[in-house]
Amino acid sequence: MNVSVGLVGRLGALAALAAVVVLLPAALSNFHTYQFAFVGIYFIAIVGLNVLTGYSGQISLGQGAFMAIGAYTTTILSVDHGVGVYWTIPVAGILTGLIGFAFGFPALRLTGVYLALATFALAIAVGLMAKSFDGLTGGGGGKSLHLPSSPIGGVAWQVWLYYLTWAIAAALLAAAWLILRGEFGRSLRALRDAPIAATSFGISLARFKTLAFAIAAFYAGIAGSLFAITVAYVNPDTFPVALSILLLTGAVLGGLGSLLGMVFGALFIEFAPLYAEKLNNSAPTVIYGLILLAVLFLMPEGAAGLIKKANRALKRASRRE
Amino acid sequence: MRRALFALGAAVITTAVLLPGAFGRSQATPGVTAKTVTLGGTFPLSGPASSYAPIPAGMAAYFSYTNATAGPDGKRGAGGRQIIWKYYDDGYNPAKTVERTHQLVEQDHVFALVGGLGTEPQLAVRDYLNQQKVPQVYVSTGATQFGAKVATFPWTIGWQPDYQAEGAIYGKYIAANEPGAKIGVLYQNDDYGKDYIAGLEAGLGAKKSQIVDTAGYEVTNPSLLSQILELRKAGTDTLMIFATPSPTITAYATMAKIGWKPANIYVNSVSATQTFMGIAVKSAGAAEVNGSISTYYLKDPANPSWANTPGMKLYMQIMAKYAPSADPKNGLYFYGMAKAYDVVQQLRRAGGNLTRDSFMRSVRNSTLVGSPFTLPTVKTTTGPKDNFPISQQRLIRFADGAWTPFGPLLDPRK
Repeated sequence: MNVSVGLVGRLGALAALAAVVVLLPAALSNFHTYQFAFVGIYFIAIVGLNVLTGYSGQISLGQGAFMAIGAYTTTILSVDHGVGVYWTIPVAGILTGLIGFAFGFPALRLTGVYLALATFALAIAVGLMAKSFDGLTGGGGGKSLHLPSSPIGGVAWQVWLYYLTWAIAAALLAAAWLILRGEFGRSLRALRDAPIAATSFGISLARFKTLAFAIAAFYAGIAGSLFAITVAYVNPDTFPVALSILLLTGAVLGGLGSLLGMVFGALFIEFAPLYAEKLNNSAPTVIYGLILLAVLFLMPEGAAGLIKKANRALKRASRRE
Repeated sequence: MRRALFALGAAVITTAVLLPGAFGRSQATPGVTAKTVTLGGTFPLSGPASSYAPIPAGMAAYFSYTNATAGPDGKRGAGGRQIIWKYYDDGYNPAKTVERTHQLVEQDHVFALVGGLGTEPQLAVRDYLNQQKVPQVYVSTGATQFGAKVATFPWTIGWQPDYQAEGAIYGKYIAANEPGAKIGVLYQNDDYGKDYIAGLEAGLGAKKSQIVDTAGYEVTNPSLLSQILELRKAGTDTLMIFATPSPTITAYATMAKIGWKPANIYVNSVSATQTFMGIAVKSAGAAEVNGSISTYYLKDPANPSWANTPGMKLYMQIMAKYAPSADPKNGLYFYGMAKAYDVVQQLRRAGGNLTRDSFMRSVRNSTLVGSPFTLPTVKTTTGPKDNFPISQQRLIRFADGAWTPFGPLLDPRK
């Protein structure tokens, strides 16, 4: 009885969320819809990061670097080789996923802080490589893509990008949920929580950990590709190390180990810096840090943890009636 | 059911709380009413380039002064309109510049973008602003392409003397006055440094072969030791420093450490404000820095020789009243104010019926004289064949903590 109520409740929440996502552009200006397209992009990136850090327990400060690879792939293919920009999205995802898979191998030797440092080094290296290979990437000056436009007449390009981003986000969210609910997810969590016990059960550490990197990189590649299409400009400064830190922060705030919590993480990534600046124009970074501390203090398990607590409180209230 | 409703409510409330503003309104000319004109800009208020943050503050101080003071037409403001100045932080990240610029145009409905800082950040929004026919005026960068590409991007124009022109001044001066010079170039490995080199080579002309070595560095490099050693080894006696402020100071410090003082040092004007040179002197010693040559086109508030001029007195008054907690000796506030002065002149010139077209026409074809903030007789001129508003500058030499101009006013673009 309790299980089916829980399932109905979760499906209801999901349906409510889906309804909000579908109906939001009707209630918002084009500019706000555009901002929510970015929310969708960050959502895709941190769902992928959640698989890596939340489920397989590998800290990554390099998710922004994978986004950059996806973004440059889309830019180079569409601007220099005339490939239709939407066709480049899966290419960017797959290419970045392969690179993530390759990065997963040396990363096997590292854990905890050392892994974080290695991924941090990746974030710095990708920016420097983008500057060095300037024949390919446009160097520091970057490359401009065509300004985004809607292929559907009468629909603003911001609305088009919003639905494109969230449709892909929904598909990738479903894919992540399917991958994680089964044996793959259980194996990942086992490797995260009790690696020695897990490997003695025959779970291949190497295979699952590198696959987790591949998945996170694939998601980041897709997010980066959409990012390039939306911003219509890429250069090394567009993917600073701060972005990787921001993505990890968003994932933690959303609640590591919860896929839907990533919606809150993505909302935070997009809007918190804007609010910090509004509160105090001269020290936005400090205010942003304070907001971050406040959120971590009040919601230590992230937004997902807060919802779980609220859920439990509701359950108790309904039982008392 | 209750939980589903709760979830829906939470999602709706979260969305509503996080929405930062109102919906758009359409007007005849966006950002202009009978009583106001709204200007916008993006600047690095945080992050690695945040040392440029005084620029929009200097602009704000001048706009506030204009709003409170009767102009030549007897009315306060620009043409009787109060200036509303909205500027946002982009952290020198072009993706943020794009987002904040969209916000300024589509949500804040600004009349024009003025003074936006950074070559790449402004490049990132150039296509969009030209497509939307929004003025992108007096960008805060000397990258030559903002003047060179006006035909393709007619809504975009720079303001300060461009880097290639400045490099050409150095080249011409060396070719004329230092015939045997062995020139070594320390440059930032991006369009900024390469612009300067292109100008230097153009100015040297046939004497281009006197460049014995060029050593580039990445902005993220904290150390310039290998580049400096390489330049010394190549026999450099005339060193060109084409670097932003922080690496420039590092270059001086490094040379002092290895005990090398080339006979001539030319330092690009962006890094040559009194404030930055003061730090260089502290790090490297006066002996290393004295004798350095640069160019400038504005007065410098940290240089006491300008203190009694009407322009500097006006600047100090405005800063004391409208930005009392700022350090007025920082030349970047002064730069912002000088730019804001030109913006106000253009708003007045564009006429009572202020439209984006009339404003742009004035910016692209006008001669502004009498700025209290530029060097005497420097004009802001544009025309069908001139898309570099300020191109006049003077050579200056550093000695005992101050810059002294020498030689005539030069105009490499005439």
